Amino acid sequence: MNLAVDTQWILSGLLLALLPLLNNGMRLSPAPWLTLIPSDMLSVFIVCCLRLCAMAAIAGLVLGMAGLHRTEQSRERIGHGAHIVLLLDRSSSMDNSFAGRAPNGAEESKAAAARRLLTDFVKQRQNDLIGVAEYSTSPLFVMPLTENKNAVQAAIAATATPALGFTHVSKGLGMALSFFQQQPVTGSRIVLLVSDGAAAIDHDSELKLRHWFKQQQVRLYWVFLRTANSPGIFDKPEDSRDDNAQAMPELYLHQFFLGLGSPYQAYEAESPDALKQAIADINRLENLPMHYVERIPKQDLSATCYSMASLLLLVLLGLKFCEVKR
Amino acid sequence: MSHTLKDYRTWCLLIAFIAMLMLFMYPSKQQKMPIYNYTFIIDITRSMNATDYQQDNQAVSRLQFVKKTLRELLRNLPCESKVGLGLFTERRSTLLFEPLEVCSAYTEIDTAIDKIDWRMAWAADSNIAKGLLSTLNMLKKSDSSVIFITDGQEAPPVNPSYQADFSTVNGQAKGMIIGVGGLQAVPIPKFDSVGKPIGFYTQDDVPHSSSFGQSNLDPSQIKGYNARNAPFGSVAVIGNEHLTALHETYLEKLSSESGLAYSRLTDLESLSLALKNPKLATLKVVQTDMRWLPAFLALLMLSLVYLPRIYK
Repeated sequence: MNLAVDTQWILSGLLLALLPLLNNGMRLSPAPWLTLIPSDMLSVFIVCCLRLCAMAAIAGLVLGMAGLHRTEQSRERIGHGAHIVLLLDRSSSMDNSFAGRAPNGAEESKAAAARRLLTDFVKQRQNDLIGVAEYSTSPLFVMPLTENKNAVQAAIAATATPALGFTHVSKGLGMALSFFQQQPVTGSRIVLLVSDGAAAIDHDSELKLRHWFKQQQVRLYWVFLRTANSPGIFDKPEDSRDDNAQAMPELYLHQFFLGLGSPYQAYEAESPDALKQAIADINRLENLPMHYVERIPKQDLSATCYSMASLLLLVLLGLKFCEVKR
Repeated sequence: MSHTLKDYRTWCLLIAFIAMLMLFMYPSKQQKMPIYNYTFIIDITRSMNATDYQQDNQAVSRLQFVKKTLRELLRNLPCESKVGLGLFTERRSTLLFEPLEVCSAYTEIDTAIDKIDWRMAWAADSNIAKGLLSTLNMLKKSDSSVIFITDGQEAPPVNPSYQADFSTVNGQAKGMIIGVGGLQAVPIPKFDSVGKPIGFYTQDDVPHSSSFGQSNLDPSQIKGYNARNAPFGSVAVIGNEHLTALHETYLEKLSSESGLAYSRLTDLESLSLALKNPKLATLKVVQTDMRWLPAFLALLMLSLVYLPRIYK
């Protein structure tokens, strides 16, 4: 049940609940000799009940005043949709425009375009659980998978602050995949990677990522925000000497994703419109029934205490009028 | 009937019952209540891993203690208050999310605080004055109060002639610096690439004085001075920068320069008290629970009925 109170010292008022044991709360009727009165089990029983009522009423009032509540609970819900982790690149180059320049009034930065479109996307996906992770040199846990769209919007809006460092995509992916670890497999699971660059992934991380992708059954969508004149993910190297992960990280990352064995879709966006297309595709494809557990912070029980106390008071008051005087 | 009405107990019960009716009719009243809008910026540099707090008789790191205290604080904040979260390392901070209403987004904020880890740091320096200045500039337009939580350990040490200039933000910024850590210097734990502790930083691991920019000392007083090759002298400086303690005077100086308040983190009570600073609060008309008043009256009346008989 996990019951708790707001103000603990008020609980000392529970001592008052002992008062009905000392006094039956009824008028005394004079009787010449108590022994003359026959013992009556029914009366004893009723008096006992009345005392219990009074004790419960006092206890109810005290608990209500102390602010009795049930602490955090969880319950299961069912919806249609997906578990989506937005994995956002916070590397410094995201603050440049698609043309690779510092944004002026006419064109927006890649980060701003991503922010605007993702904000719309989140608005459309009402039933999804959405989480946010970011990465630059190191991964940042931002927002757990949640139904609360305001929270996701606040996280997306916060990417308006200046970007951070370099692109360390493997750690970012690891962080994004960790979101699914304690979640039951239900609905579709998506990592939506929005980045403007790639980095070579070392062998160890490659093995781990392969394993995790398979284990967590995650689909990957990669929206690559391509800067003009930079290598793309579908480019073939012109010179065989450039055919390595250091020179063409985008191509190699793409090939790594293709070989993951889990569903993967890449989008190369050279303008905000292409990014829109990617988001529209996810919108169309990803709607499976799913279960999820929701946590409820706390439940106030003081109202219940008060109503119980009032009911008992009414009983006591009613019975007061049944007292007889001879 | 008349004898029932003559009994004071009947009247007590009646008053108690009427009080309960009032309780359900007017459960709350409109009242001006302070609500808060905080953006917590948490220092996640290495020195925050130093274990100089106690929790359940176990030494815990400063960062862990900060997280635990903030999560408890979150539970006690009045609804409609907002909390945002950011991290500080290097010489700037980043915002994880903009302030969110605490009651509706309780779980999200709570989890995000819980997941904060020193390994989220994108760079390893810890230049607190510059970080504070850039944070205040970054959040200048926001109406949230910046709560900058740090131990004040500058690493590497700052050259006094290149100090952050707070004159542009002083007076505009609203917020507080929270000092974390003990006053006794303790070693800073070191971790390997998979996060296992591998001892502590030693004297040889860290620079003990600033060798950045121009030296402000008189060259004749610097041992081994060479204008080009050794402007700070050639003698190895030995200090205690590998140990960490709360630099309280330094943080107090920063707070007075930037126009923020200062408070030290010792426990939840003192933190919530410090954060309830009226400067950081905005008054908002909210429904306040008034049910205790009629309930108290009812309790009093009911107790009167069952008060032990002293005289017969």
